[in-house]
Amino acid sequence: MLYDLQRADVRVKWLVTCLLATFGVAYAFGAWMVALYAGFTPHSVARTYATPEMTMPMPPERTMVTERDVRLKDFAEETPHTVDRELLVQDTHVHLPMYGVIAAALSAVVLGLTVSQRTGLALITLLFAAPWLDFAGMWLTKLVAPGFAVVTLVGGWAMGLGYTIVAGVALWQMWGPPAKGVHA
Amino acid sequence: MKPIVLSAVVAALLHITPVVVLVKRTDAVTRLLPGADAFAAREVHLSEADAHRLHETVDWSPEDGVLTFYIGRRGGAVVGTLEFQRVDTPHGPIEVAVGFGQDGAIRGVEVTKATAETRHWVQETLAAGLTSHYQGLKAGDPPGAAAHIRARVGALPFYMAEQVDKAVVRALAVYRLFYR
Repeated sequence: MLYDLQRADVRVKWLVTCLLATFGVAYAFGAWMVALYAGFTPHSVARTYATPEMTMPMPPERTMVTERDVRLKDFAEETPHTVDRELLVQDTHVHLPMYGVIAAALSAVVLGLTVSQRTGLALITLLFAAPWLDFAGMWLTKLVAPGFAVVTLVGGWAMGLGYTIVAGVALWQMWGPPAKGVHA
Repeated sequence: MKPIVLSAVVAALLHITPVVVLVKRTDAVTRLLPGADAFAAREVHLSEADAHRLHETVDWSPEDGVLTFYIGRRGGAVVGTLEFQRVDTPHGPIEVAVGFGQDGAIRGVEVTKATAETRHWVQETLAAGLTSHYQGLKAGDPPGAAAHIRARVGALPFYMAEQVDKAVVRALAVYRLFYR
C-alpha cells in the first residue's frame, strides 16, 4: 500500500500527530463532562436517559391534583441531569455525524498503519461500531429498559479503546525506532 | 497509562450538553414570589385527555404527565405562583422560571439555566431587556418579547429569545388551563 505512516513524509506524520493530540484532548474533556453530567456507572447512565414513564403508573382517568409543602432550600437541591426524548433526538442528530467524521479520520490513520488487513478491518469496525453502540444504548435505555445503559458504557469504552489503540500504534510506528527496512 | 486510557475511553459520552446555571432556583423563587415564607408544590397529574388538550394548545405536554406549580404564601395568603419550564433546543435545553401574581398576570421571568453554548446568546437577550416585556401578561396574551429586541441582538440570541417566548407561552397556557 502506498500510504504508509512509517515511511510517510515528516509533515504527514506531524499532521497525524496533531490530529491525534487534538482528539485526545477533546476526549479527556469529554470524560470530564461525562463525570459532571452522566457518571460512569450503569445506574447513573440509566438515571440520565431512562424515561420516567417507565416507572410511572398509567395516566389517571381524570386529572388529579396533589399538594405538598416544600422548603426554600428544597429548590436548591441538585436534580439529576436528565435527557428526555426530544433532547436525545437532537443529540443524536447533532452528534452522530460528528462521531462519524471522527471515526473516519481515525480510520484514515488506520489505513496508514503497518498492520494486517484483518487487524485494519477490525479496528475500522471498532471505530464505527463504538458510537453506534453508544447511541443504541441510550435509545434502548429510554425506549426499552434502563438495563441497556450498559450498552452505552460498552460503546464508550469501545470508543476510548479504539482511539487508544490507533493513537498508540500510530505514534509508535511514526516516531518510535524504525522497523527493519525502514529508513528514518 | 491507566488514567490516559480511562480518559480516552470514557470520552464516548461527549455528546452530553453541559447545563449552566444562570440564576439559582432559590434566587428565582425569592425574586418571583417576594415575601413568601411558606411554599407548596402543587402537582397536576394529567389525564390522557388533558395532556392531549395541552398538546393541541401549545404543541407540547410534559413527558412524565405531571405539571408542577410552586405556590408561595405569606401568613397563609397566596402571594404568587411559579412554574419552571424547560425548552429543548438543538444547542441544549434552557429552563425558564415564570412567576405569576395573585391577579394571574406575569410578575416576572427568569432564565435559570442554559448551556455552555447558549449562555452568551441568552445573556445578550437579557441585556437587551427581553424579560421586561413579559411583565403583566395574562393568559391569552401573545408574549412576542423576542420581536421587541430583534433589532438589538444577533440572529442566535434572537433565536434563544424565541425559545424563551415559547417557555412563557407554555407557562401561560398551563396556568390558564390547570391552575385552580
